[in-house]
Amino acid sequence: MQSKASYLIGKTVELILTLLVVSLLVFAAFSVIPGDTARVMLGPDATESQVELLRAELGLDKPLAARYLSWLLGLLTFNPGKSYAYNVSVSGLIAQRLPVTIGMSIIAMIMVILISYPLAVLSSRKPGRLGDQICSVIGHVLFAIPPYVASLLLILLTSSVFSLLTVGNYVSPSEDFFEYIGCLLLPSFAVALPKIAMSFKFLRSSIIEQKSADYVRTAKSHGMSDLKILIRHVLPNSNVSSITIISIILSDILGGSLIVEQVFNLPGLGRLLLSAISRRDFPLLSGIVFYLALVTVLLYFISDIAASFADPRIRLK
Amino acid sequence: MARAKKNSAEKTPEASVFYIVGLVLLGIVVAAFIVSLFWTPFEPDATDAASKLMAPCASHPFGTDNFGRDVLSRIMSASKYTIFISIAGVAIALALGTIAGIPAGYFGGFTDRGIMLIGNSIMCFPGILLALVAVAVFGASVGNVIWALGLVFAPTFARVCRVGTMEIKELDYITHARVMGVRPLRIMTFHIFPNLVPQLLPATVIGLANMTLFESGMSYLGLGVQPPDASFGKMLADAQAYVRVAPWLIIFPALMLVFYILGLYFISEGLRISLSKGGK
Amino acid sequence: MNKYILKSVTVLSAAGLIFTVLAGCGKKPADENNYAVVGITQEPGIFDPHTVVAAGDEEIIYNIYEGLYKFDYEGNLNPCLATDVEISDDASVYTFTIRKGVKFHDGSDLDPIDVVYSLKRAAGLIDGQNGVALVSELDSVKDVEELSDGKVKVTLEEGNSEVMSYFTTGIIPEGYDNCQAAPVGTGPFKFDSYNPGQSVILVKNDKYWQKGLPYLDKVTFKVCADMDAGLTELSSGSIDIFPYLTSDRAAQLDTSRYNILSNGSNMVQVFALNNKVEPLNDVRVRKAINYAINRKDIISVTMDGNGVELVTAMSPAMGSYYDPSLNGTYDQDISKAKELMAEAGYENGFDITCTVTSSYLIHVNTAVELASELKAIGINMQIQQVDWATWLDTVYTGRDYETTVIALTSTYAPYDVLGRYQTSDGGNFINYSNSEVDELMAKIPLTTDVAERTELYHQVLAILTEDACSAYIQDPTTITAVSTRLEGYHVYPMYVQDMSTVKLVTN
Repeated sequence: MQSKASYLIGKTVELILTLLVVSLLVFAAFSVIPGDTARVMLGPDATESQVELLRAELGLDKPLAARYLSWLLGLLTFNPGKSYAYNVSVSGLIAQRLPVTIGMSIIAMIMVILISYPLAVLSSRKPGRLGDQICSVIGHVLFAIPPYVASLLLILLTSSVFSLLTVGNYVSPSEDFFEYIGCLLLPSFAVALPKIAMSFKFLRSSIIEQKSADYVRTAKSHGMSDLKILIRHVLPNSNVSSITIISIILSDILGGSLIVEQVFNLPGLGRLLLSAISRRDFPLLSGIVFYLALVTVLLYFISDIAASFADPRIRLK
Repeated sequence: MARAKKNSAEKTPEASVFYIVGLVLLGIVVAAFIVSLFWTPFEPDATDAASKLMAPCASHPFGTDNFGRDVLSRIMSASKYTIFISIAGVAIALALGTIAGIPAGYFGGFTDRGIMLIGNSIMCFPGILLALVAVAVFGASVGNVIWALGLVFAPTFARVCRVGTMEIKELDYITHARVMGVRPLRIMTFHIFPNLVPQLLPATVIGLANMTLFESGMSYLGLGVQPPDASFGKMLADAQAYVRVAPWLIIFPALMLVFYILGLYFISEGLRISLSKGGK
Repeated sequence: MNKYILKSVTVLSAAGLIFTVLAGCGKKPADENNYAVVGITQEPGIFDPHTVVAAGDEEIIYNIYEGLYKFDYEGNLNPCLATDVEISDDASVYTFTIRKGVKFHDGSDLDPIDVVYSLKRAAGLIDGQNGVALVSELDSVKDVEELSDGKVKVTLEEGNSEVMSYFTTGIIPEGYDNCQAAPVGTGPFKFDSYNPGQSVILVKNDKYWQKGLPYLDKVTFKVCADMDAGLTELSSGSIDIFPYLTSDRAAQLDTSRYNILSNGSNMVQVFALNNKVEPLNDVRVRKAINYAINRKDIISVTMDGNGVELVTAMSPAMGSYYDPSLNGTYDQDISKAKELMAEAGYENGFDITCTVTSSYLIHVNTAVELASELKAIGINMQIQQVDWATWLDTVYTGRDYETTVIALTSTYAPYDVLGRYQTSDGGNFINYSNSEVDELMAKIPLTTDVAERTELYHQVLAILTEDACSAYIQDPTTITAVSTRLEGYHVYPMYVQDMSTVKLVTN
């Protein structure tokens, strides 16, 4: 249909505009905050002339606006430039850190879905019963445990009690895939814990709501089995809100794994972002923010489309 | 049959149980806060190298930290900052979010696109960088950080409002009102907003919890509450190093933090149940 | 065009690598455990021996480059790539005899011409450098020339007896200018690879001139996010050596797996007072602050008691340059502090801000303890944390602050320690100014007699202490955890990780 095509074009324009606004924000932020890359790299013992020398070498003596424009032009040719502090290409640096961040997001997401869906379905079968109440209470408590408290407790438990998984020894997937998964399990679990509770809660209430809807009662009176109703009607309809929730959770995990990366000493994107900020590395930071923004926008983009397919009442505009 | 089950499920003491447990948990934190305004067992910031890292005992029921400061007194004064920052931050985020989100969902079109463009951009922007900017421009005070936090969290609320509005505005009574010529502002304020409350409440609590966490995360960069003042999150971040030698530095602030979030959570759950029951 | 060249180079070097690996397989199998992983908390970035300034970089490249002279872990300056030195009477001409039989990592021999090139490059005397010295302390070098018999003569603009400790700067092959990407030196380890933000890998230099050294085949410097992340890695066994621990962290480690070593760090932690800001421009206020603080308590709180109290701008670790008669000058005396405050007209105290960098917990904790102690004389100190980049920009170079807490690092050069108190020095971020100090400091490099020079240093220290230019706190102890599978590690009183003497425990 034509409306779908124009919808897609509109969304793409929106995506490009968003990315442009984000990069402008980064630029604006950098023109405001104090700090100088060359000085950070050389430390306090360097003399002014040494700092000046490095600044010229890195091209920092040009105004920020000029550097921003050349960065933007570089993007048109898919070249996000070179990091000041690391002296290597930004895309290479990001690619190097991706296995951690993507791996953690995927594993955490799988944990969220595997645990929260069955639990939600189970407890919504007989809302108010003991099983449901226990699940709900555990869910509430889990939700109230901050990820880094969970990380600390998990580290304590595993290293002193079980000594099962090695903490803090990151193995890249090219070295040993299973060890790579192994070293990400704990941090992913720490990230996933509150999200499991969150997703459980939303799913449960949305299933209960759907179950009381008229069409479910009609289906029931027509003799449809409970399971069939659940799969055919209830779950698809609760998907509308759960799709939104899942995309929120995913972008949360992407942006929120920073502290967990810090505690577990994992070389992920969050830590790269932090060091780009603290070293005032403009190309690197712009690159990471741009990349994260792209992923986030795409996620919402997909969730919008998925929601419109799941519920035709939400019209695509 | 289904209806009967549902009624019996939601009429049960569930709502009131939630209220009671929630109020008790929240009450502990709020009581600590109120008492701390008038009295704390020790001066919360007074250091004493001679009595550092003492395990809980009669004079220091929650022990002392690495400066020899009384943990109980510090927790009491920390509750002030935790409550203040999370509530003020969420209030700002909620206000900004509803003001932007409802019109976006209601009018759609370019209004929607413009608002969501800004919202998405903010959401993609690292919150820590935003806080750094706020501090660089306006100085490192708690107030500035709260504004930054509010701005960071606003798009989440805007999204919830927008999606909710899009669903509600298709309902019959809104269409009726529109046909009868009720002004959009009136529809949004009196018809749509009240119906968003059940969806906004959990989001608010999640926001409160996330706000508390984000605030403690920011203390890694030295933003947020400045020492010697503390929030629960900051106390936890500081205690990280002592997890093996002085677990009481982790346990008590963590408990208070969990009480705070859990208390809010239970109350919102109770509210949601009563509201959805009243709505039918 | 360039890209293709680059690509073919990459392919060739990859092929080369495979050959080396294959060739390596043919040789006798090396001991798989003959390696060490060192945890570092500062991300490395610069590998050029002449542009390097940051302590976190210096401790790594110490293993790659060597200078004409080299410090050992007791602070002695020993001959290294030079076998000896002759110094003219006015200390303006230094003649080094260059060691023979030393090879660079690229296989070439060390010749006097390499030394000339390296020193000229460091001093900014190469064409195109416009006279800007890369190593600023060597700025006074006027000329470097090769003499006939394997000697190198360095001529200074004027006599300077303090320059000797800067001849530790790294020597690189003549004409070489790619040290940042591919470091080449003469040190015990060769540069292997750099994984930005994660690790630096060094491998054994088989042709090292000191026979028998080094012992290890491979050394990895692994970046840890912070001390606690490093501690986690230590307990899981993924790093072997971790320096700069605090003793309460070290106490958490399993002593059967780790030896805890400690040594003075020769750092000067200072509660810096901006001498240009009211009311800190009043010497009585600065003295009052010095009398009000309890250094022992601060050391107890921040370092668990592992630090040496300081009263002045120099650590006692500097040996004879330090003046022990100053000890005890500013022992805590609250009533005296109050008197001084009253004399200065601040009997009711005042408000002040301490801008401290959140990147170093020890300084933040010191500020917290200071704020608590200063309340006793009515000073209400607010703490404001800023990140490291902001601190460098606004506090250190911008000097826009009231008070701060920081540790000043230094080598074993006393001139470095006190140089920053000259009125016009770039490192004088406390805005201290005293013409007497300026005169004395100008006189020191021209004085060749060691005893006389030491006496001049004592005079400077006495003035700085009398002026209470800031409140000096402590020389924090460096605590290092070393895995029990390794031995031979030494803690240096400066930022150095010397891996050449480290070997596996044999039993």
